[in-house]
Amino acid sequence: MIEQLLERARIRADGGADALWRRVERTAIALEWGRLKAAGVTEEAGANLRVRHRGRVGVAGTTAADIAADELVGRALASAELGEELPLAFPVRAELPHVTTFFDRAAGAPLDDLIAIGRSLLARLEREGCRVNVAVEREIAETRVANSAGAAGEYRSTGVGVSAEVWRIAGDDVLAIGDVFEGANLPSDDEVEALAASINRRLDHALRIVAPPAGALPVVFTPAGLSALMLPVTQALSGKTVLQGISPLGAKVGERVFDAGFSLTDDPLCAGRAASRPLDDECVPSQTLVLVERGVVRRFIYDLETAARAKMQSTGHGVRSVFGKPVPGYTNIIVGAGGRPTGGGGGSHDLGGGLLGDVKDGLLVDDLIGVGQGNVIGGAFSHPVALAYRIERGEITGRVKDAAVAGNAYELWRRVGGFGNDGRWAGSRWAPSVLLEGVSVAGR
Amino acid sequence: MIDRLTAALGNSRADYTEIRVERSWTTAVTFRGRRLESATASEDLGGCVRALYRGGGWGVASFTSLDRLEAMVARAAELSRAVSLDPPIRLAEVRAQQAEALLDLDGDVRGVPLADKKRLIEAYNGAMLAVSDRIVDTLAAYRDEVSEYWYVNSDGTVLHELRPEVTLSGTAVARRDGVIEKGLESIGLRRGWKSVQGREPGFREVAERAVALLDAPMVQGGTYPVILDPELAGVFIHEAFGHLSEADFVYENPQARDMMTLGRRFGKKVLNVGDNGAAPGLRGTLPFDDEGTPTQDTALITEGVLVGRLHSRETAATMGERPTGNARAISFRHPPIVRMTNTYIANGRGSFDDLIRDVKLGVYACGAFGGQTMLENFSFTAAYGRMIRDGRVAELVKDVVLAGNLFQTLDRIDHIAGDFRWNEMGGGCGKGGQSPLPVTEGAPHVRIEEALVGGDVAG
Repeated sequence: MIEQLLERARIRADGGADALWRRVERTAIALEWGRLKAAGVTEEAGANLRVRHRGRVGVAGTTAADIAADELVGRALASAELGEELPLAFPVRAELPHVTTFFDRAAGAPLDDLIAIGRSLLARLEREGCRVNVAVEREIAETRVANSAGAAGEYRSTGVGVSAEVWRIAGDDVLAIGDVFEGANLPSDDEVEALAASINRRLDHALRIVAPPAGALPVVFTPAGLSALMLPVTQALSGKTVLQGISPLGAKVGERVFDAGFSLTDDPLCAGRAASRPLDDECVPSQTLVLVERGVVRRFIYDLETAARAKMQSTGHGVRSVFGKPVPGYTNIIVGAGGRPTGGGGGSHDLGGGLLGDVKDGLLVDDLIGVGQGNVIGGAFSHPVALAYRIERGEITGRVKDAAVAGNAYELWRRVGGFGNDGRWAGSRWAPSVLLEGVSVAGR
Repeated sequence: MIDRLTAALGNSRADYTEIRVERSWTTAVTFRGRRLESATASEDLGGCVRALYRGGGWGVASFTSLDRLEAMVARAAELSRAVSLDPPIRLAEVRAQQAEALLDLDGDVRGVPLADKKRLIEAYNGAMLAVSDRIVDTLAAYRDEVSEYWYVNSDGTVLHELRPEVTLSGTAVARRDGVIEKGLESIGLRRGWKSVQGREPGFREVAERAVALLDAPMVQGGTYPVILDPELAGVFIHEAFGHLSEADFVYENPQARDMMTLGRRFGKKVLNVGDNGAAPGLRGTLPFDDEGTPTQDTALITEGVLVGRLHSRETAATMGERPTGNARAISFRHPPIVRMTNTYIANGRGSFDDLIRDVKLGVYACGAFGGQTMLENFSFTAAYGRMIRDGRVAELVKDVVLAGNLFQTLDRIDHIAGDFRWNEMGGGCGKGGQSPLPVTEGAPHVRIEEALVGGDVAG
């Protein structure tokens, strides 16, 4: 399909073309409030075509299986006619790195295996006065990308997501604690156990409610709780934000902006991760990219278009769906002192990753409300806590409600009180817990 | 198409089966700064089958290739059978509907050349850029969609609909040295080309506000009487209360059911809240939901007391209540779940001035950059605010974040004005991996006696 599409496009577009075809088959089960309620499958296929004609670029996409190649090319050309001039160059054929993206065990698992994972997780989470939701999803995908300059790649991939949420409602106190396993293969029994233990541990500490502290305090952010501090940084490291002139890091390449213990890498070649792939959606080979090295800004991520406008090279971060045009996007983000994480989460099991000992009075933040709202790019944040604990004399004394934390991500990252020994994946980000000093904490 | 779906339905061995097929035509034009980012036309086609065996779970199969229709009907039935449930899933009765509902396309966007759509949004983008050289970046997007929709189920419902949708959005970013501020414009309607003409003033206004915010002080954190403008009040009622009124949250969770018992007092007598999927022309409006249940105006809170909730056929049967037409799916890629449509705080009495007359020091919070509720806690970021001093609207302030506890805050709503309006914003609601679902909200000006406003929370 894709070869035929490019062939037709090459005839009608004078500046070349590239295309992506993807087929996805998803199987999912859901246990709702403790009962297996639904099982579902999704079969989806679609193609996205981009052409360059008379210096202008256009895109078109479709999921219709019966679409004629000429019609899609025609739509892409119509889109290009309105477009602006762009010196987009399609990459030539290059050697692709090796990364395992397809796991037979995940692809071959029958529905009953997915149900068994869900049930075993449920059994480990059920407790008096609580209700549990569990979802298990497995995806098998086939991706083909190619362009008129001769570059091409295809790969099969698997992805598995297992999520659980325990709800406890006592009067008007509503508590929900969840966690997610994400990977390219099915979780091992140990990984299912680790997921359950992570939820149970946080639930045990949450049963007692204590008053929040107030003031400029030491706050430990768990790997999941770091989102509010990471979002401005990842936005600022996108070549697109830099090109727009609104990235606070745009002019800081080579400068030390963060604590010397802070490094940030994007790694599409990470073993066992669902976001890993040998090449991006624009035929650019994948590479492990250090964006921040020991506190120093090194580079930004680019897709082909952003790179062409910024007069840079694509870093292999083009992400495209069936509809719309490619945009720069991250794969697996790794935060920490450097080095590639291994396994699922071999580090410490203690909440806070060993950082609580030095905290006399402070907070452990696992989840915040409203991350991503407001003016993210400037670094300032102010969020009520969704799940947080008070730390007193080095120990967790209970859950804190009705508290809010605020600060500026850039100021806080400049000096880090410590990185924990509990590095783990939270979605597509690997990070340990982080102790930050002088975070504004207010009760109400 | 209907004949083909009915035939496929006839081959299903499950006790209940439904098939939904959607074909949609979408065009989108986006400008960033002075540059056209993209102009595309796309077509999406696919279907979703849901099947239920007595004593089984839901079997769901969605697909993009209609050649697979018969196979997917069989697959959904198989999946239902693979899940056994006791007590079984029951569905509340809904009278079988046969309808040909071709909504008013209000100027069919499919007949308008892409170049005209480009010109329209380019003009609105230009209106933002022309405000000041402090506007360093903009994002302006036009998007339209017409979808043709077919639905059949084994209870005899047969629907064919044509649904239009059009959205405009604008972001203006103002910058001076290190200070960056933004303004957002957003319009979303279940209408067509005619309804998006002459919208420059709104785009200009948000750009002017972004520039004005550069000089505005951050609001001083603390507890104030707060007046919400209709836009923010609407977003507030959707986020902070609406989600709790979705029956899938309570129907199989006894503790949640206790918390949301009908008859419980949630607010003062002035507070009336509802959800109306049948209000004409709004983004959340449709004649039927995705189970073929007619939409309606459902009262949720009457004079401060909880009187209703939003249902699918399944949640209604479990709770012994009536379906409300709130089972909605974002597309054929998903099964329907309980969702809001057009959620509102009903009109009160008097004017905005009546609300602020006796406020010595308060905050007038306007517009919404975003809002999120987690359990009984919420956080909303207003687009901007104005201080209220001695009963009058005073200076512009920024970084107005409202945070609080839902139950306390609803109970502190003490005055509701008589100036109701629907938001007509674009964007949408996210739940269970289905986002953005077209919804809207409406409200008059609403006063909260006392609420926490955070900027610098440590003060």
